[in-house]
Amino acid sequence: MQWAKLAPEVYKAMIALDAAAKKGLDPTLVELVKIRASQLNKCAFCLDMHIRDARGAGETEERIYLLSAWAEAEEYYTDKERAALALTEAVTVVTEGFVPDEVYERAAAHFEEPELAQLIALITTINAWNRFGVSTRMTPGRA
Amino acid sequence: MTQRMKFWGRQPAFYQAQLALTMAAKKGLGDPVLAELVVLRASQLNRCAFCIDMHVKNLREAGVSRQRIDLLPAWEEAGDLYSARERAALAFAEAVTVLTEGHVPDEVYERAAAHFDERELAHLLAVIVAINNWNRVNVTVRQPAGSEL
Repeated sequence: MQWAKLAPEVYKAMIALDAAAKKGLDPTLVELVKIRASQLNKCAFCLDMHIRDARGAGETEERIYLLSAWAEAEEYYTDKERAALALTEAVTVVTEGFVPDEVYERAAAHFEEPELAQLIALITTINAWNRFGVSTRMTPGRA
Repeated sequence: MTQRMKFWGRQPAFYQAQLALTMAAKKGLGDPVLAELVVLRASQLNRCAFCIDMHVKNLREAGVSRQRIDLLPAWEEAGDLYSARERAALAFAEAVTVLTEGHVPDEVYERAAAHFDERELAHLLAVIVAINNWNRVNVTVRQPAGSEL
């Protein structure tokens, strides 16, 4: 199904949501969060898009391909990035744990409240794109 | 439960976009009771107390019976209390909500596609995606049931 064509007002709202969610956040962090959520949700289209975006923005190969094991590759990511990735996982797979206090507090220790709100908005927004992508089986472009 | 953050006041542009998304989705689906049932079921799975409270009240106001509200967590075992179309939508809502368990199996998608035309199905999906957004934010910030956003 081509959902964006079938529901153009919904697509327009998604674009507005995405723009609002990203605003002011470090673009490097944005792509890491979007890639990690897309891995968990298995959105091939989203993963393909955000890995290309990250690479285009100069992200290293190691940081891209180690992302699915970021907790075991600590030296590749900053403390702040790891706190954001832990929150990304908890919010994405919300039904496993419902965002535990320790995960939230770890993120709150690295992000001031306005930036933390922005990060939460970003995580839910990539989850929304992932849900559209996976449910309609959007396929990645070919290089 | 203590609220962690007053999220929505901090994010006015995101809030407006989220409202627009929700309204576009519901309008396109064109079946308010079905939308409320689906949204309540997703909120139950995601354990969003604020959202459950809101949508139970909406369903009551829409005149939906107490039994149809109360038995929603066990809709599959409740016989014909829910129509075949509602059950197809609820199965789809569960699959899209708990995405990481099964990633929306073909049989669930096809069952929904048998009851909804493509345009309706796209908007049903959007309703489910939108409530998952509300749920994720409100669970993450521990928005209390019955509170002001």
